[in-house]
Amino acid sequence: MTVWKTSVRNFLAHKGRMALSAVAVLLSVAFVCGTLVFTDTMNTTFDKLFAATSADVTVSPKAAEAAGDMPESGRPESLPASVLAEVEKADGVKDAEGGVSSMSVTVVDRNDENMGSETGAPTIAGNWTRNELRSMEIASGHAPRGPTEVMVDADTAEKHHLKIGDELRTIAATGDITAKISGIAAFTVTNPGAAVVFFDTATAQRTLLGAPDVFTHVNVTARPGVDDTRLKENVAAALGDAGAYKLRTQKEAADADKDSMGSFLDVMKYAMLGFAGIAFLVGVFLIVNTFSMLVAQRTREIGLMRAIGSSRKQVNRSVLVEAVLLGVVGSALGVAAGIGLAVGLMKAMGAVGMELSTNDLTVAWTTPVTGLVLGIVVTVLAAYIPARRAGKVSPMAALRDAGTPADAKSGRVRAALGLVLTGAGAAGLWATTRVDEASEGSLYLGLGVLLTLIGFIVIGPLLAGAVVRALGAAVLRLFGPVGRLAERNALRNPRRTGATGAALMVGLALVACLSVVGSSMVASATDELDKSVGTDFIVQSNAGQLVVPQAADAVEKVPGLERVTHYKVLGAKLTNPDGSTEDEYVTAADPTYPKDLRRETVDGDLAKAYGERAMSVGSDYAALHKIEVGDEITVAFRAGKTAKLTVAAITSDDTSVDQGAMYTSIATAGTYVSDDRMPGDMIMFATAEDGKEKEAYAALKTALAPYPQYKVQNQADFKQDLKDQVGQLLNIVYGLLALAIVVAVLGVVNTLALSVVERTREIGLMRAIGLSRRQLRRMIRLESVVIALFGALLGLGLGMGWGTSAQKLLALEGLGVLEIPWPTILTVFVASAFVGLFAALVPAFRAGRMNVLNAIATDG
Amino acid sequence: MTTAVTIPRHGDTGGLTAVAARARQVVKAYGAGETRVVALDHVDVDIARGQFTAIMGPSGSGKSTLMHCLAGLDTVTSGHIHLGDTEITGLKDKKLTQLRRDRIGFIFQAFNLLPTLDALENITLPMDIAGRRPDAGWLDQVVETVGLAGRLKHRPTQLSGGQQQRVAVARALAARPEIIFGDEPTGNLDSRAGAEVLSFLRRSVDELGQTIVMVTHDPVAASYADRVLYLADGSLVDEMTDPTADQVLDRMKDFDARGRTS
Repeated sequence: MTVWKTSVRNFLAHKGRMALSAVAVLLSVAFVCGTLVFTDTMNTTFDKLFAATSADVTVSPKAAEAAGDMPESGRPESLPASVLAEVEKADGVKDAEGGVSSMSVTVVDRNDENMGSETGAPTIAGNWTRNELRSMEIASGHAPRGPTEVMVDADTAEKHHLKIGDELRTIAATGDITAKISGIAAFTVTNPGAAVVFFDTATAQRTLLGAPDVFTHVNVTARPGVDDTRLKENVAAALGDAGAYKLRTQKEAADADKDSMGSFLDVMKYAMLGFAGIAFLVGVFLIVNTFSMLVAQRTREIGLMRAIGSSRKQVNRSVLVEAVLLGVVGSALGVAAGIGLAVGLMKAMGAVGMELSTNDLTVAWTTPVTGLVLGIVVTVLAAYIPARRAGKVSPMAALRDAGTPADAKSGRVRAALGLVLTGAGAAGLWATTRVDEASEGSLYLGLGVLLTLIGFIVIGPLLAGAVVRALGAAVLRLFGPVGRLAERNALRNPRRTGATGAALMVGLALVACLSVVGSSMVASATDELDKSVGTDFIVQSNAGQLVVPQAADAVEKVPGLERVTHYKVLGAKLTNPDGSTEDEYVTAADPTYPKDLRRETVDGDLAKAYGERAMSVGSDYAALHKIEVGDEITVAFRAGKTAKLTVAAITSDDTSVDQGAMYTSIATAGTYVSDDRMPGDMIMFATAEDGKEKEAYAALKTALAPYPQYKVQNQADFKQDLKDQVGQLLNIVYGLLALAIVVAVLGVVNTLALSVVERTREIGLMRAIGLSRRQLRRMIRLESVVIALFGALLGLGLGMGWGTSAQKLLALEGLGVLEIPWPTILTVFVASAFVGLFAALVPAFRAGRMNVLNAIATDG
Repeated sequence: MTTAVTIPRHGDTGGLTAVAARARQVVKAYGAGETRVVALDHVDVDIARGQFTAIMGPSGSGKSTLMHCLAGLDTVTSGHIHLGDTEITGLKDKKLTQLRRDRIGFIFQAFNLLPTLDALENITLPMDIAGRRPDAGWLDQVVETVGLAGRLKHRPTQLSGGQQQRVAVARALAARPEIIFGDEPTGNLDSRAGAEVLSFLRRSVDELGQTIVMVTHDPVAASYADRVLYLADGSLVDEMTDPTADQVLDRMKDFDARGRTS
């Protein structure tokens, strides 16, 4: 009981100090809980959406794609209208209706502006059926009738200020249709950003499917009392050729749709939890430091407790109880903050076009439990070492002056352990750069990264001495005696400086590593483009949509073009000479493609691969299946018949563009795939006649203006785009890492604040003998800067090592150029100095405000 | 030692007043109303230049408070304090800090030295802070006077208590302040080490012309002074010149007895 009481009192007595640690726990827990709540809410939203949009039983073609996947051919798979009649005859069917739905469409307004989402949410066009009424209602106007009317969803209408009577043009692979808005339909569930337009059935069939008597699916509604599974069986029985169709109950359909969404959500969830993990790791340093300092400050007090009869266990336990309290307070606040964070994230998603409603906010009971358990366990584990140290305080400490002598033996053990770990890690990184197999290399890389990180953390306190002295010589000398005092203070407790710096090191190491990999990626790709790309312009969509024929025609008609190359991708099952089969994609392109993208060949002649019944394969594939030039591969096109193609060339896979691609000519593919099943172009390459590049570029842009879903880029645009994409990705990652850095900064603040308190008398003495407030504040700021720079130096060094090893490993995958982004590295280094300044603001202010007399009279 | 002494700046009273520090009607009170405690009650004091002055008194008499006020470490409730010609009451912190740095030296009872700096760095610290170069000749002389020549590179933890206090004395002397304040400078030392430190202080007055004010409750320490001021209940009650330890002790006993009977 007394243990409990002293712990609570101590906890309350040091609430200021505890607050910073609590914030660290809070941030980490908030991130975990926020992620969980956010992804759970997304799941709920999609669950509701898919449950509402799926009929009791849906009949669709066997080859129909899952929600979110683009159909390969650029137009959806369909079934004949006769199926509807067959289904209607089945037992238990209340009614059945034919549905048309296509996601390979783009909707634009009168000014050719894209009405769809730019963030990956699909644009869907379909016919207005009774089934839609389960998830939508007509808010104004009326359902579309005839080829001149279209209905649009309310979110899209609102976002683009559309009203009844406005014209919309829907671009599909089968042609464009322009219609006036007849009505606006509002979702009754949350629509996370898809743009939806509806036509009447005949118009939808003609424009979206290109034929009158076909549907993409049949929605079947059960008679009351007939459950979905029964209905599905009945419908299957009624269908003449049930094997040709896919039948799904409402639940099956919703689950399948959700699965395709779910993998994306999972990736997001684990990525964010990864960053939460990093924040936790950094938070651990803060907690260890806080408790170490509290124990050090209380050495005499603890000695007294021991002298009057407290057992080691009791002292140990009292510290741990404080940790539990900290964990509980921090995690509880963290859970609450996490829910707030999730709401904030949902709002932020709104800014990028993904509308989520807080009505769907889902907090599973596991979320707060996970948050609390995680927060408390991590806090207690982090406090364990300081608690043990507290238990070891001898009763004599009560009589001795404060200040624990340095433990030389533990220093040696630490040095040895740290060097062994770092050495092993460095060996791992070195091995990474030597391997020929990517899988083997990533194991070495992982081990190397982990071991060097732990190694650096362990020897951090020892490195602190050398690094701080070096920094002192370089920077602090400029500040005269104040700089020298700051240097000495930073060196005074290397373990503390080490741990504080290490917290910053972790985040910055990741930043440095990723920026090295990112800029190497850009440099490698740019280098590759310079070497291999022979075309002037590239036409493709932002969202992976295929180029519709009318847009392709527009490109062909542009004057001043020397050649236009079409590039299509077809799914196929390959049967290799060794008997193995693989599901692969075959690239069908015009024979001019090797001029647009120069590829090295290992064997054979690439031009011949574009000949009749010929193809090429990549060197990795060839090696795996022992394929040689002249061998025959059986290619079963998913959209057509089976071909036997002769391998005419083997291309080198030592590239990052089109790596592993198998080429054949469009003519060859056309022999086996009928025109209406032949996919649209994935990419088009256009090359201008000499000297007409500028005009051709402008003309291309004009020609494609009615099709805003495609962009035309010249090489410079393309490179810039690549750079921007990598840059954007890195920015997101940096944003998430900022969390770890914020926690690390709290650590620096904490360390300084405690140092100021510990050095009260010293500060008083210095003030008494004439150190001005400004000098005092500068001294503390400089100490902070030195700690921050120490962490930055270690982190950046470590990260560049990781990044370089990773690049060497990825060189096997075509990432051939190592580029260290010195401007970024230097900026981060300089920025950490400012981080140090910032962290010192409050502690320095407080030190300056300290009363000189109180300071020297603490004990007297 | 006694021959080649250059007379320091402050030893030459030509440009300076004969009174190094002066307090007039100084009141220092804590709290207000019922709980008001008066630590100094209208005190008038003159500290003569070039002299060694001891301030004595029982615990709670206000002797430390008086020293803190004279040294510009603490503010007064009312009254005026001058250091030389400068009135320090009412000065802003910045000015006071400069004043302490340039014109005053301190020796505290304990914790006089920064643990991160070695002996020499501690000695030159006030000048370092001020951005002044120490006068090498003077520094050598001070170091030699306090007998630390061999230990200048030692950290405070590597020095004995007496040695630490001698470093503190050296620091106070090195900057050639107008006046040095000592707050029980020998309070933490055994009698032998204490005697050593006190004789250094004495010599710095005799040979270097230094002005020193020391708060103490030790009659032996007070006997090193030229003049002893007695404080009781915040008022100056007596003084004595050229005291011996026995005289001081007698006087103290006298006060104690009076205190008990009143």
